[in-house]
Amino acid sequence: MQNPLARVRGTGSSGGGSHHWRSQRYSALILLLLTTWVLWMGVALAGADYTTARAAMSSPLNAGMAILLAGAVFYHTQLGLQVVIEDYVHIAALEFLLLIFVRFACLVAFLISAMAALKLVMGA
Amino acid sequence: MSTSKRPMSPYMLGPYYRFQITSALSILNRLTGVFMSIVTAPLLLCWLIALASGPEAYAALSAWLGSALGKLVMAASVFSFSFHLFGGIRHLIWDAGWMMEMPQVRASGWLAIIGSVLLSLIVLGAGL
Repeated sequence: MQNPLARVRGTGSSGGGSHHWRSQRYSALILLLLTTWVLWMGVALAGADYTTARAAMSSPLNAGMAILLAGAVFYHTQLGLQVVIEDYVHIAALEFLLLIFVRFACLVAFLISAMAALKLVMGA
Repeated sequence: MSTSKRPMSPYMLGPYYRFQITSALSILNRLTGVFMSIVTAPLLLCWLIALASGPEAYAALSAWLGSALGKLVMAASVFSFSFHLFGGIRHLIWDAGWMMEMPQVRASGWLAIIGSVLLSLIVLGAGL
């Protein structure tokens, strides 16, 4: 979807092209596809006891969906918070720190989600 | 060179522009996104960690979710999810170049409001 012209012209003061914009839309589409599963699980597991919730999350399908969801959620979160910070935080040092923090926090959150889901599916 | 005197585009909310559904829903989409980033996503992460940690941790989180504050946070999360879902669909439709005439933009805005309130009520009514 990237026009070869963009490479010839350069991408302007942002230093980047449409990558961020496209990534935000792709992750949004993945999240849109996962909506049904999220609502289904949310309603099924609302107020569920430990045994029920544990049994549900031990299925490989649900564990895989949870890891996919965590990846899409925290990627989309990072991209979205990045734009909000860039728009509203005008102190350069604080903006830089917040952007680094959000990236790091979203990566760690995804890794922890994946490990928790794997632990549940492997029954450790 | 002084930058403070440059003409600036005023912020979309406030005294400079008439309050309208387009700007209100634009900022609401951001607010619901930020709310889910700061509250809902970390809460889901805590749920998964608690479930993987064992019955005691899970029981503690369940008890908190059953409290008044927990219920309020869940209700706000469900509404944020619903609104951001419909707001996001609007954006994806615009990105495809569709429905960009002002009457259509206002109509889809009202649809997003009605849809997200209905979806929230259905999900909360179903027990979440």
